[in-house]
Amino acid sequence: MTDFLNFLIAGLTRGSIYALIALGYTLVYGVLQLINFAHSEVFMSGAFGSLIIVQSVIGRGVHHLPWYGVTGVLLLGLTSGALIGAIVAWGLERVAYRPLRKRGAPKLAFLISAIGMSFFLSQLAGKLFNRFSDNNFPTYYNVNKHLFDIRGVHISLIQTIMIVSAVVMMLFLDTLVTHTKLGKSIRGVAEDAQTAALMGINIDKTISRTFIIGGALGGAAGFLFGSAFTVYNTMGFIPGVKAFAAAVLGGIGNIRGAMLGGLLLGVVESLVPTAPWVGGHTWIGTQWTDVVAFVVLVLVLMFRPTGILGERLGRAA
Amino acid sequence: MSADVKTNLKRLLACLGLGVVLALMIGDQEGNQTDFGFAFKAAVFHPRILIFLGIGVLLYLAMTFRPRVAPYLTRAGVRPLAAGTASVVASYGLLNWSDSGNLTNGKLSTLAHGARDTSGISVIGRLFFGSAVPGLYWILFVLAIALAAAAIIVQKSALAWGAAGLSVLAGVWGFVAHEMVRSYLHSPDHSTGAFVALLGYATIASASVTVARTSGSEAATGAFLDRIFGWKPGFPLFVIGTAAALLGTFWASWFSPTDKNTSVFGMSDLFHGYPINGLTSAYLGWLVWVLLVASVVVAGAATWLQHKLLGWASVLVGAVALLISLLSMHNFSRIAADQKFDGAVQAWQNIGTGAWTLCAAFTVLAGAGWMVARKPVDAAADPVSPRPIGSDSLVSPGKSFAFTQAMLVVVLAGALFYPPTATGFWQTVLVTEIGTYVLLAVGLNVVVGWAGLLDLGFIAFYAIGSYTTAYLTDTLPVKPPHWLHLSPLMAIPFAIAICLVAGVALGFPTLRLRGDYLAIVTLGFGEIIRIVAINAKSITNGAQGAFGIPQPVVHLGPLHLKWGQDPLQYWYLLLVFIIVVVMLFRRLENSRLGRAWAAVREDEVAAQATGVNTVRVKLLAFAIGASTSGLAGVFFASQIGYINPDNFVLNNSILVVAYVVFGGMGSLSGAIAGAAVLTWLPEFLKAQVPAEDRQMWIGAVILLMMIFRPAGLLPAKRRAAELSGLDKVYSAETAAVPAGEGM
Repeated sequence: MTDFLNFLIAGLTRGSIYALIALGYTLVYGVLQLINFAHSEVFMSGAFGSLIIVQSVIGRGVHHLPWYGVTGVLLLGLTSGALIGAIVAWGLERVAYRPLRKRGAPKLAFLISAIGMSFFLSQLAGKLFNRFSDNNFPTYYNVNKHLFDIRGVHISLIQTIMIVSAVVMMLFLDTLVTHTKLGKSIRGVAEDAQTAALMGINIDKTISRTFIIGGALGGAAGFLFGSAFTVYNTMGFIPGVKAFAAAVLGGIGNIRGAMLGGLLLGVVESLVPTAPWVGGHTWIGTQWTDVVAFVVLVLVLMFRPTGILGERLGRAA
Repeated sequence: MSADVKTNLKRLLACLGLGVVLALMIGDQEGNQTDFGFAFKAAVFHPRILIFLGIGVLLYLAMTFRPRVAPYLTRAGVRPLAAGTASVVASYGLLNWSDSGNLTNGKLSTLAHGARDTSGISVIGRLFFGSAVPGLYWILFVLAIALAAAAIIVQKSALAWGAAGLSVLAGVWGFVAHEMVRSYLHSPDHSTGAFVALLGYATIASASVTVARTSGSEAATGAFLDRIFGWKPGFPLFVIGTAAALLGTFWASWFSPTDKNTSVFGMSDLFHGYPINGLTSAYLGWLVWVLLVASVVVAGAATWLQHKLLGWASVLVGAVALLISLLSMHNFSRIAADQKFDGAVQAWQNIGTGAWTLCAAFTVLAGAGWMVARKPVDAAADPVSPRPIGSDSLVSPGKSFAFTQAMLVVVLAGALFYPPTATGFWQTVLVTEIGTYVLLAVGLNVVVGWAGLLDLGFIAFYAIGSYTTAYLTDTLPVKPPHWLHLSPLMAIPFAIAICLVAGVALGFPTLRLRGDYLAIVTLGFGEIIRIVAINAKSITNGAQGAFGIPQPVVHLGPLHLKWGQDPLQYWYLLLVFIIVVVMLFRRLENSRLGRAWAAVREDEVAAQATGVNTVRVKLLAFAIGASTSGLAGVFFASQIGYINPDNFVLNNSILVVAYVVFGGMGSLSGAIAGAAVLTWLPEFLKAQVPAEDRQMWIGAVILLMMIFRPAGLLPAKRRAAELSGLDKVYSAETAAVPAGEGM
């Protein structure tokens, strides 16, 4: 049971990162019906951006900060990651999407331009900030410190930070989309872009802002991921693919679906291959994690071809 | 602030931003610097940044004054002038001008530096390389394009003739100077720089002539090409073939062992006294001239008179000439190998460019005859007349049928006879990268381009084909039964069958999903196959993979072929595969099935309503694409000899999709061109940028292509019609539907 709970918490941590990235995919899909393949690079740039800013503020190496210092650096990292992510996502839309939209390009052309952008950004980051996976955030708190420890079930500080900040951001996004004017325009464009334009919504601006919101979430996720693990130029690839799968699992274009899909995928990846309820020996083994994730995805899609909560941003949120 | 100022300010900022990005792209590597962000600072906080900001400002000016320049850009000759300028710049700046290590290795600037003071080269050559005026070749080039541009702007034919003369002079001078270096170094040369420069100057010269012969009116290059190629079908090919034949016999080297380098005139003496057979000695003595004259004369007569029977005669003469040439080349090179000329061990070694150029020339001349012989009845009357559906799959929009046929013949001749003259490095690249991925892209084009299904796990079938080959050739831990131990080529039907089954097995549960869902499921399938290959150690030998997969052999009656290490042999095998697959797919594209694919792609519901069995049609697309990928897998496994899961990563699947879309979705020639260009590019970039930056540049190229030409390099007609409307795309298919209706 303790193993089960520990793995569940690990899965939720992993899942909250997936969910944050998946929101970027799903928001863009909602308004454009396109998979933004370069979103993983937004995640990566958020990580690098926050790394540079945090490093320039507190310096490198080990620091012993009081609790308010730690909170301050965390907030700084999250906002700077979100800011850089938003800027990169905005630029991405202007460079790789808008010119193609103006030309009425076929749908696959968008996919390929996003892939080109993804290659470009990840390799440019590799050129500018080395291609080794050894860029670590300065240590300003003990990442593995157990915050809670209840009869063998422990939650580390970083897990708490990741889950809490992800939940806060998701709640914020949900309110933004359901209760604000901007959210209403996003939902309107997602529902029917042309009718929304007739109602006086500026489609270009709405799309730009959707990219910015998704990019901010992805960039903040990049900071969280980077401070838990490490920052490198191809760090976005695997989480990007998984988050894409999570978005599809929940029903692409559906915001709550992406949150649910992300958390579910994280939990499945954490629990199924290790199967802590079997006890003692490992069941499938963690080397099959990715296979398990994709098999679950295929099974869900076979019975619910539009994902768990169904698609369309407009309808569901 | 008025809206106009705001737009301008935004544009200026965007251009400056582009300049900064360019500075970062060309700047230093971070590498393992301890100073984090070193590369960024070095690129941005260095005076050099001013140059890049200047580029940004220039771009801004170009964009702002574009409306004023635009009327000039549509004038006759602008596009060929731009193409010529680009090729000369590429030749002078990027391509190799010499690849023998003796004098100076590499690009024109280094070669010129060494050559201009070398006394062994005549003064004419040294002058070109800049012995008197440094960088004379650049000055000539700038003068030529400036004259041509001035001629376009002021429409003075005297200026245009001057530009034409100057560019001919510069092109020929450069070529001659390169020849002097080559004969001074006295060793085989594979560099392409001088050729490309010559072609570029020829294009500039023809642009100038076009300017001189037209007065002010607009003239589209496409229509001009149509007129030239439609005037007498096959005649341009005859000109190209004759030029190649003359080049091959009078200029190039025929046989190039060290210190026995000789042209065709010396061949007879060189082999005097050696046991060459009668045919070869006749060939080297006089037969080659007879064949040359005969094929040129017959092809010339056929294309000039447009006589069908003469056309067939030209095909026959060309084929016989080609056959005799190849037989003789085989004979004398085998004799040379027996005599151990320059360490040769087998036939076909040390044969120079001249012999291969002559072979290509015979092919092109035969092709000219073929064009005359197979000419549609009304083609002479109206070169752009509609022709029957079913013959246009390799056609890009706007070019006439004759142009496409001519291009096809030239590309075929190049594919057959260029590789033997390339360096070993490029031969390997041609086989392992370009050829293999062309085959994969042609297969994926069925799935993505024609049926409109986004498949991001295509490489999985390639893996299945490779592992099937490894299994059947007994190189995996799991052994096949005794009676099923096969050579790689015999594994092809099995691999194709298994990939068909795998394609159907993947497609059956997933094909009711719509586009983007299908994408993630296929992506997952690709990853699953790879992870299984890594983890199922008892079956696939895990991450080590399979070793020692034997090379292909063919025993067919009296014919015994065995493939060894030489990439050229594999190239011809691959060429056979590609040609067979392309011919099959061309028939498929306009078949009932092909039209059903188009219907499903455009509107699945409507297709279903008109009676298309969409599931069956989509499954067939999946299975056909998968089996092509499996074929490529068999080839890959037996060529490379060892496979492991790292060959089949997700990135490769994504790249193949990028090749298909880059080339032009749904067009066979586009898929081939896209794959060829994007697999050639990284190898070409090796000499231009740091190796680790190559993917960045390729990403940028893909991005730019999609921004400025979203339909791809050679778009399919149907797609082009979707993008630009029917009135701009002329084909039998679109002609059947009045503009503004349908599609």
